[in-house]
Amino acid sequence: MTEVVAQLPKPAVVHDVPVDMGKLKRVGARPPFLDYLVQLWDFRQFIYYDARARVQSSTRRDKLGSAWLILNPMFNGLTYFLVFGLLLNTSKGIPNFIGYLVIGVFMFQITSGAITGGARSMQQNKALVQGFSFPRAALPIGVNLRELLGNIPMILAMLLIILVVPPVEPISWRWLLLVPVLALQFAFNLGIGLILARIISRVNDVTHLLPFGLRLIMYLSAVFYSLDRFIDHPTILAVMQANPMFIIIDITRDSLLYGVTPSLHSWAMLTAWAGVSLVVGMLFFWRAEESYVRG
Amino acid sequence: MSAVNEFSTLTTDPCIVADKVAMKYRVISTEEQDKAPSRGLKLLKRFAPAPNTVTVNALNELSLVVRHSESVGVIGRNGSGKSTLMKLVSGQVRPTSGAIHASSTPIMLGVNAALVPELSGDQNVVLGCLAMGMDRAEIDARFAEIVEVSGLEKSIHLPMKSYSSGMASRLRFAIAACGNPEILLVDEALNTGDAQFAARSKRRMDELRDKAGCVLLVSHSLTTIKDMTGRVVWLDKGDLIMDGDPKEVTKKYMEFTKLLAKGNNNSARDLLAEVRSGLAAANIVKASASRRGRTAVA
Repeated sequence: MTEVVAQLPKPAVVHDVPVDMGKLKRVGARPPFLDYLVQLWDFRQFIYYDARARVQSSTRRDKLGSAWLILNPMFNGLTYFLVFGLLLNTSKGIPNFIGYLVIGVFMFQITSGAITGGARSMQQNKALVQGFSFPRAALPIGVNLRELLGNIPMILAMLLIILVVPPVEPISWRWLLLVPVLALQFAFNLGIGLILARIISRVNDVTHLLPFGLRLIMYLSAVFYSLDRFIDHPTILAVMQANPMFIIIDITRDSLLYGVTPSLHSWAMLTAWAGVSLVVGMLFFWRAEESYVRG
Repeated sequence: MSAVNEFSTLTTDPCIVADKVAMKYRVISTEEQDKAPSRGLKLLKRFAPAPNTVTVNALNELSLVVRHSESVGVIGRNGSGKSTLMKLVSGQVRPTSGAIHASSTPIMLGVNAALVPELSGDQNVVLGCLAMGMDRAEIDARFAEIVEVSGLEKSIHLPMKSYSSGMASRLRFAIAACGNPEILLVDEALNTGDAQFAARSKRRMDELRDKAGCVLLVSHSLTTIKDMTGRVVWLDKGDLIMDGDPKEVTKKYMEFTKLLAKGNNNSARDLLAEVRSGLAAANIVKASASRRGRTAVA
């Protein structure tokens, strides 16, 4: 391109143009927090449709189709069973180790999938964000909903394994407790996903750290070993018992496997984690509402 | 800020008001830096190559008022800031300084390729319409019309990633065009697609323009600009050069590009300076029409 203009002269005149701004709104302005929540509610059909359509298309390319929604965590569980159950024998003293392992792996997979998806949602939907002006939190919420819908067959598979693989556990009313656990887990995942989505939209490098962080949490959540091995270290034990992922897995194991009603303390801790995560996540995400697309 | 001129009339029906907007991008440049760093720093840089960032002034401070029922064309060479202006008005990017105000959410008809590549065309139609705030019943009622405008016929059920770029932009146009927006932004949307689609999209565009409150149109085709707009804004390298009657502005612009094409860069520069020095720029003053016939300055 040729270099034409070095210095442009100033315009001849600068008129003052009085404009009635009464009816105008600033384009892309971030609404107050409560209005933002109302807007999100107005876009609920968009969120739901986005989630449902993507669940259907996620496995369309595979020959086995939706079966992968179940096969995936099953192979995962099998891997851990071979390595930790048979080779390293971490199963010592754990009654019904297969059930123990399956619940740990499946419940962890729900959280890791939802957090990864939520964290990357802003980047993977650039075209949608550029094209339309909907409240941006609709995307991470949609991803979390999609994960929840996609995980339904997996959760059913988990229950089936517990029912079929010996030692067979009886169905009790406590199985219903899975519903509040999943609800609290959803809130927790969504909150963390929202926080990460904002961070990653600014500093992309965090995407590389995400898998390591999740793996660390998995190893700390007693997925394939028992916390009893730390019984002599009260500090480690206390820290590990405060881990939200561990609480989720522990409550699920108590209600599905061991016929124990989870303690009020566990429920309170989990509710606190979920509530704080969701509120902080929403506020944190909303504050950057205007800056989610660059170029 | 200077007082409001006694004779300046209050603009009571603004559609888009750009108040001193400017846009700067910070981008990574592959250009070598001139200054040689010390050896130790050089070694460090080899391991952590700090990207060489450069600030690009895509749009310099600019104020513009577009009223209701006005169609404004935007012309300029490549890199003059036309598309940046459109992105700012549509709210896709936030200006580095200043603000854009509009009477409703502007809808951009652009050449963006896919929406969600994994989903089929019809799913993208529903998703796009929902994202514009329409509800399911409305979408179902207008679905056939959207498919007709897109001209995709049976291909509407295929995943969008299998579409050619022309097909994708046709669908994109059809979705955006179904919104009946009050403020319509068109960024070269009419130049995509084959002749058959061009005719169909022109018809739809005309309908939209009749209904829309105001239209902002970016095009390299001066004929399109002259046909469709009642006012033209000429940008060059992020600066506003001229703002006025389509015939006059396009005439000056043609003169300018002809000089450039001949290689008369000096004369072109003089022409640009001459036109610019005749520009009457605007300074937006917020006011409200609280009392009839009088201007109250906020």
